Order: sequence, then C-alpha cells, then structure tokens
Amino acid sequence: MIAALLLKLRARDEVSAAEEEALRVAVATQRDLPADRTFIREGEELDTSTLLVEGLVCRYKDLRDGSRQITALHVAGDFVDLHSFTLKRLDHNIMTLTPCRVALFPHARLKEITETLPHLTRMLWFSTNLDAAIQREWELSLGRRTALAKTAHLFCELRVRLGLIGLAQEADYALPLTQAELGECLGLTAVHVNRTLRELRERGLMEFRGHEVRILDLAGLERVAEFKDNYLYLENRPR
Amino acid sequence: MARFYLHVINGAGRAADEEGAELPDAQAAEKRAVEGIRSILADEAKAGRLNLDGRIEIADEHGAIVRIVPFEDALEIRRAAGRRGGT
Repeated sequence: MIAALLLKLRARDEVSAAEEEALRVAVATQRDLPADRTFIREGEELDTSTLLVEGLVCRYKDLRDGSRQITALHVAGDFVDLHSFTLKRLDHNIMTLTPCRVALFPHARLKEITETLPHLTRMLWFSTNLDAAIQREWELSLGRRTALAKTAHLFCELRVRLGLIGLAQEADYALPLTQAELGECLGLTAVHVNRTLRELRERGLMEFRGHEVRILDLAGLERVAEFKDNYLYLENRPR
Repeated sequence: MARFYLHVINGAGRAADEEGAELPDAQAAEKRAVEGIRSILADEAKAGRLNLDGRIEIADEHGAIVRIVPFEDALEIRRAAGRRGGT
C-alpha cells in the first residue's frame, strides 16, 4: 500500500524500518475510486491527507467559462494533498484521471509523526517541497516553453517519475491520459496537442498512441524540451 | 452528445484525430476547431511564421466529414489596403 511512496522516498534518502512502520500504521483506510471523480473539492474542510496508491490523479482549477488548468499530475506514491495537513482546505480541486486506489492519512496521525519522528517529518516536508519544484518547472513550461518543448518536457518528466516507482522502462511507459487532458496540463487545446504529438513523431523523437509512450530518441527529446532533472532532486543523501 | 473527430491538415501534413471528443453537436465541434486553429497559429506567430493554408476536417463517428474549417476562417485578418507583405 505504501510501496510506491517508499520507492519514491528511498530514491532520495534512507527510510528506516521504524519510519516505514509509522507510515504504515498512519493509514486509516483505503478507498477505490472510479476515473474522472473529483474527490476533494475546493474549500471543503479536510482532516485527512490522501496518498495515491495506484492510478493517476490531477489537481486542477477551472475558469468560469469552463476552461481548465491541470496544475499537477500525481503518480502512485505521491501524496495528492499532504499540504492539506497545514492548509485544512484547498484552493483547488483534486480528481482521478483513471481508476485509482488511495490511502487516507488522518491529520491527527500525521501530527503524531511530526511530534515523534523528526527525520520522517523532514522526508514528508521534502515531498511537498518536491511538489513545489515540479510546479515551478510547469510554470516555466506554461509561461515560456513552446508547445513542442512543453509537450516534450512533460513526457520527459513522467518518464523519470514513473521510472522511480517501477512503472516506466528506459524508453516506454503507459500513460492513460487523453489528448484533451494533456492539453489541460499544457495550456493547449486538444487539437493543438494532436498536432504537436504528430510533430514529435515526425521528428523521430517519440510516439504517444493508445495510452502508450514510446521514446525513440531520448537525448533529442530532452534537447527539444530543455529537460534537466535537477528539479526532481534525485540525489540520495541525508535530508 | 455525439463523438466528433477533428483532423488537422496543414503544411506539416495531416494529423488525424484518433481520440475524438464527446460534444453536443457539430456547432460545438466547430467551436473546438476554431479554438484549436487559433492555438496552433498563435504558436506559429510566436515563432515568426504563419501558414494560413490549413484546415480542420470535422468527422462524425462514422468517419463522414460534416464540416471543414479553413484556418483563415478562425481569424479576422485586417490589413491596410494596398499594403504588401514580406520584405
């Protein structure tokens, strides 16, 4: 249940057996959710944080005209709202993109961790800092990268993030997202995403078909994207 | 609701829409097409080139083309009379 979380954390630092056990017992319950379910709504009072165990989840905000910006994608092992532990309500919504399994961590149990396990607390803090780092990189994409570069960048990022939890091979991974959802991540229309994917394919960089990503030229894709993995903080070191 | 497919055809070739979208009617599909064209052309303009010789073919779920939206129909293009483009 917390296997992916442990893979993600242990890629960056050691997690002791006692810390692992503390995480395990902090889970109150698990839930299975269908795809396209907004399960945390903007403004609602929260007393648990949700860990994604399986599936894909997004954070999003909508404008009045219905246009949607996905501000974050979460993969297994990500807390989708560890920040609700201190914020207690969110300024955005959280929705499943695929059928998902989640584990719920009551804030009271997270509080216990913060009061008894300083290193594990820092690791949880690290993971919200990592969320923020990813958000900054997305901001750069949305504000400055071309359609081609930001699309390439997202696929480069997900290859690394999914690879850490064993869900990506060197050059292939499954990504059950529609082109419309990709567009909502990238600030592009679905039509434009389709056109951009075609260009990536024609340049021999990558293909995305039937929810399967196949990277044909990783170095080329990373060059087009100006992808540097430093913002993913992959170094394993004491934190 | 019905499924519509928006195929993009322009200088770069044909990008077939294999996914489609559930939309109320062909008019809604046309609106999507116009937004898509504007988004593609905006990106081109930023890169300093603009190719208006494209179109989006809107197909229904049987593959029949129900509407065609030329790129230039997605924009109102104004130029002073007699002005010539290029350098």
